[in-house]
Order: sequence, then structure tokens, then C-alpha cells
Amino acid sequence: MRAFVLALSLTLPLGAYAQERGPILSDAIEAHILPGYARLTETTDALAEAAQTDCNPTSVSLRTAYHAAFDDWVSVSHLRFGPSEAEDRAFALAFWPDTKGFTPKALSGLIAAEDTAIQSPDTFAETSVAGRGFFSLELMLYDPRFTDQGSAEYRCALMQAITADINRNAMAIDADWAGYAPALANPGENSPYRSEDEAMQELYKALITGLEFTADTRLGRPMGTFDRPRPKRAEARRSDRSLRHVQLSLTTLCDLAARLSADHPDIAADLDGAFAAAIDRAQSLNDPAFAGVANLQGRFRLEALQQSINDIRVIASTELGPTLGINAGFNSLDGD
Amino acid sequence: MTSRRSFLAGLAAASLAPIRGWSAVGAPDYLAAALFPDGTFRLAGLDMGGDILFSLPLPARGHAAAAHPHHAQAVAFARRPGTFAIIIDCATGTQTAVLEALKGRHFYGHGVFSTDGTRLLTTENDFETGQGVIGVWNTDDYTRIGEFASGGVGPHDMRLMPDGRTLVVANGGIETHPETGRTKLNLPVMQPRLTYLDQNGRVLEQVELPQELHKNSIRHLAVRPDGLIGFAMQWQGNTSQHPPLLGLHRSGEKPLLLSAPDAEQSTLHGYAGSIAFSGAGETVAITCPRGNAVHRFRVADGQLDGVFLHEDVCGLGTASNGFVFTSGTGVIGQLSTNKAQISNRADCQWDNHLIPIRTAA
Repeated sequence: MRAFVLALSLTLPLGAYAQERGPILSDAIEAHILPGYARLTETTDALAEAAQTDCNPTSVSLRTAYHAAFDDWVSVSHLRFGPSEAEDRAFALAFWPDTKGFTPKALSGLIAAEDTAIQSPDTFAETSVAGRGFFSLELMLYDPRFTDQGSAEYRCALMQAITADINRNAMAIDADWAGYAPALANPGENSPYRSEDEAMQELYKALITGLEFTADTRLGRPMGTFDRPRPKRAEARRSDRSLRHVQLSLTTLCDLAARLSADHPDIAADLDGAFAAAIDRAQSLNDPAFAGVANLQGRFRLEALQQSINDIRVIASTELGPTLGINAGFNSLDGD
Repeated sequence: MTSRRSFLAGLAAASLAPIRGWSAVGAPDYLAAALFPDGTFRLAGLDMGGDILFSLPLPARGHAAAAHPHHAQAVAFARRPGTFAIIIDCATGTQTAVLEALKGRHFYGHGVFSTDGTRLLTTENDFETGQGVIGVWNTDDYTRIGEFASGGVGPHDMRLMPDGRTLVVANGGIETHPETGRTKLNLPVMQPRLTYLDQNGRVLEQVELPQELHKNSIRHLAVRPDGLIGFAMQWQGNTSQHPPLLGLHRSGEKPLLLSAPDAEQSTLHGYAGSIAFSGAGETVAITCPRGNAVHRFRVADGQLDGVFLHEDVCGLGTASNGFVFTSGTGVIGQLSTNKAQISNRADCQWDNHLIPIRTAA
């Protein structure tokens, strides 16, 4: 039986503003998304190379390659749709937060059993996402619990498997974008997006959820509560990257916001001002792993930074969102 | 898929019995939370035609409510991660008790009264362990008398089965922590479940979806008088996939998932808000506020038999001739076999759920 469609009322939101979105979509893809994944592919390739050459956890070249590749991941980590979500690639690259300690468990399991799954990229890709990616590598490089667990040979082979898998996932996302980019730029029949509005909304959602993740999770988790700060929950704290992730994410989200608001100069200026204030605060913090959250002054500084990111969220959702035909319904926004 | 006669008989018995305590407040048919134009969040009692019979203030945004089976008393739950639930005497319009979540717990926004009305059960998050909990409260004085594990993570909606004893819980699978707001902490490993428990916390049955649907969070429930469960889902996976958002389950069997053709399913943005069976039980529907639509399916063969478009539609309740719905624009309307009409427009924004007082299910 064919479904029948009844329009109950004339109150369906109109297609907001029938605007030409093509140039903005193309620009965001060509200048923001594709170069980001191209860089990630290059630096993760260099990372896998470095682990092949020298897998000593204290190796300067390996650690340098780790930082460079991780930087490039954080700079695209807000683009959580399409190719990054296929086969859980994004989660396999960065399993964080890890509230139940799955990453150390997965690594200990592999090392204790000298699991042969690490011998081939295909079998390693079948293992738990928690034991793969940058956060696993960080433990292998910086956590004393892992830098001498099991045999040196196995640890070396494990790091080589992790880095090769990181590179493989980066390449897979990059390769899939070759096909996904035209679909995002040209919505319609052969695209997951039915209209340019929908495609714009995907990018807007990436901006909003990126801001939310940085404020609520990257900052919120270590902040904990006033009575119980949680510095050990800071992201990538062992390699002193927690603050760096906030800085990198603000920089890349600022770039995306500028492109999405290109045809609304007033909104672009408001967003730019708010991002500049937040980035200034982040740059002036001298607390790479958010250890300072445990003392009063350090906590207030993080709170101020978090507030400045929340200020950006308000501008994005009250000024930018409505220009993109976002359904701002009471229930559709609720998500519960 | 069932003996139609047996559930129709059960339905007639359920809906013909008026509930005495509720007649003093004009015998509302439904409860719903809303945001009013003066900025207050309130719990309202509505009749079938959509008239507001009473409304009482809440301290913050509400989510769902539960009606006491014998007294004109309702519990209104805060939206998660709220830590309060308010007991309201609907006859006098006064707040008679406040439930405060225990330390280390918050409410999810749903709960049920026991059949005899002596206990209230609430879905809660034990957020340091990330495990779901069912809280048990004595309704004489609303003190906490116990709790047990919900059988999963993120228990959201919960209903009492027609036997009056068994609980069915939508363990949505998503871990959150109040320190990180509504951020979802465990998407790659989330495992939603439909869990049947007795009221001592013994798990009677766990139902999981196939592994490729482990990111389809089971959130809201409807129970038909013959024990058939309807569940509504919210997809947390890749937005380019459009999996089913509605499932049916009968204890001991495999779940059956229902979907519209992809062209229509893709308009729902992976999100269903509420679910209900029709008054006669032959159809089941979900509201989809992100797609501004109601999808209705025939239970007998699982086929889609109606798509109704309406802006920000979310609340949905069983009505004798079909369904009643509410929207974030203040509309209250009815869906009958092949007619949909707006009954009323209130000057408020109706929140997620519409709770029948004379539960037909």
C-alpha cells in the first residue's frame, strides 16, 4: 500500500532563504576540508615511517612525528560526518574520552597475549577501536605503565601496527572524500544531501558540535566540579597536548565559521571577534596539560576560556544558524 | 502477530474505568509539560479536545510526567540531567513533594507508578560508573526506599507491562556525565538494550539490535494492552544512513524494525521523539520533530500507512479513535484513520511528551 502524505497545516518552515549556497559549499570543501585531510595523510605517513625507522618511545623523531600528525588530526576532528564515520574511522583514530579505561585494557590485553593480530593491517583493523589510534600511541610513548610492559620487540611491533593503522584510516578518509566532495557540493538525487540547505546544515553542525566538544569535553572533563577538579582527565595530558588541542580546534573552527558566514559580513565579524577573544585566552594560558585546574587561579582561567567559547556558540546558534535554514523548533533542537 | 480479540478486550476494560481522583480536576485526559510565553515552564492537564484544564509551575524545563493511578497526583520530571522531580496535587494545584536525586545520580526524565500506587520508579544515571539505575520511592512520603540496576547504560523511558508487575526499560546506551553536559561519551562502544525486569531488579530478558545498529539509541516506549512493545529510536551513527527508528517487540521473540522507504526515511534526520499505539491498537506511530512528520505503521504487516507533516511535532498519545499529538508551536491535534486535524492551538510550546492519564496501554 502506498503511503499517503497529508500536510496538516501551512506552518511548515519555509526553505528559509532561497540563497545560492554553491560557492560557500565549494569553498569550505576545497579550502577547509580537503587540505586538512591531505595534510593528515602526509603527516600520518611520516609517522608510520618514523615508527618503522625508530620505535624507541623516547625517540625524538618518532615523538616529533606523533605531535605533527596528532595536530593535523585535531584540525579535522570536528568534521564528523561522511568518510570519517564509515567503519568507525574517526573513533579508531581518536578514542577519547575513554571513561571506562578501555584503551589501557585493550593495550594490556594485546601485550600480555602477544596478540598476533598486529602482524597484518587487516587483522589489526579488526581489533577494538579503543586499542588503536593516537591515544593508544600516546600511552605507548609516554605512559610508564606501557613503555616497559611486555617485551621490547612486541611493543615496537605494536607501535608500528598502531601508526600504520592511523595512516591507513587517514588515507581511507582522504580517498573517500574524492567521491564525497562532489556529493556535498552538489546536493540532489545522487547525494546524501537533498538540498544545498541540508549540505550547509551538515557543515554548521560540524561547527556547533566542534565548539561544544571543546568547551564541554576538552575543558569540561578536566574541570570537573569546583570541589572535585579532575586534572587527570585532561585530553592527551601525558604528552602535554591538552591546551594545544583547544588552541588547534579553535583555530580550525574559526576558519570554518568564517567560510560559512562569508555572505553575511556582520555575522562574520561577530564570529571573528568572539573567536579572537577565545584564541587570545587560550594562547595566554601557560598550562599545557591543565594541571592548574586543581588550584583556584588555574580553575578560574579555564572557566574564563570555557565561557569565551560558549560566547562563540551563542553567536553561531542565534546569528549564523537562522541564515542556514536550521529548524530551530522547541522539540527538534531538544534531542532527548 | 497477536490475538487481536484478547488485546481489544483488555483495552476496553482499561479505558472504560474512570479514575475517581482525577475527576475533581475536570478529568484531564493527558498531561504535558510546556514553555509558556511568560518564560515559565509548566505542567498542564489537557482534555481530548486540547483545552488546558490546569497548569502548574515547574522550576525548570520539564520532560515527561507520570500520573498516579488512583489520586489526582502527578510527578513531573526535569529534563535530563535534572536532579529534581516534583509531585503535584493536580486537584489543588500545589506541589506536595520534591524528589531530589541521590548524590551521584540524576534523573533521565521518565518514571512509572506501581499499579497499586504505593511506589514510584524512576530512571536514573549513576554517573561515576556510567551505569543505569532504577530508583524506588515510597509514595506515602516520597522517600527513597531502594534501587537496582537498569540492565544497561542511559535508561530513558520505562513502562509497566500489562501484567502490572514487569518493567520494560529503554536503556538508550549513551553515557553522559553532568560535568560534560549532554556530551555523549561512549558512542563507539554504545550498546542500547530493551530490558525486561521484575521490580526486584531481576533481569528477565535483554533485547539488543544487530551489531550494525548498535548506534541506534532505544529511547521511548509504548505498550499495547496485549504486551506488544513499541520502541522509538534516535540514530547516533553516520548521517548518510537512514536506519529504522521504530521497533516492535514481544517478549521472547526477535524485535521487528519498521521503516518508511528511504526517500521518506531520510527526511527524519535519524530522530524519533515519541511513540504510541492507536486506541484500537492496530497501528503504531512515531513523531519526528526534526523531519516535521508523524509516521504511522500497521502493526499486522509492518507497512507504513500514513505520513503526516507537521512542524515540530513531538508529543504523541493514544486516543480512542487514533492518536493525539502536540507540537512545539502549541498545536494539539488528532489523527484518525485517514484524517488529521488540528483541535486547538495553545499559547505555549509543548514539550517532548504527551502522557495519557487513563492509560489505554
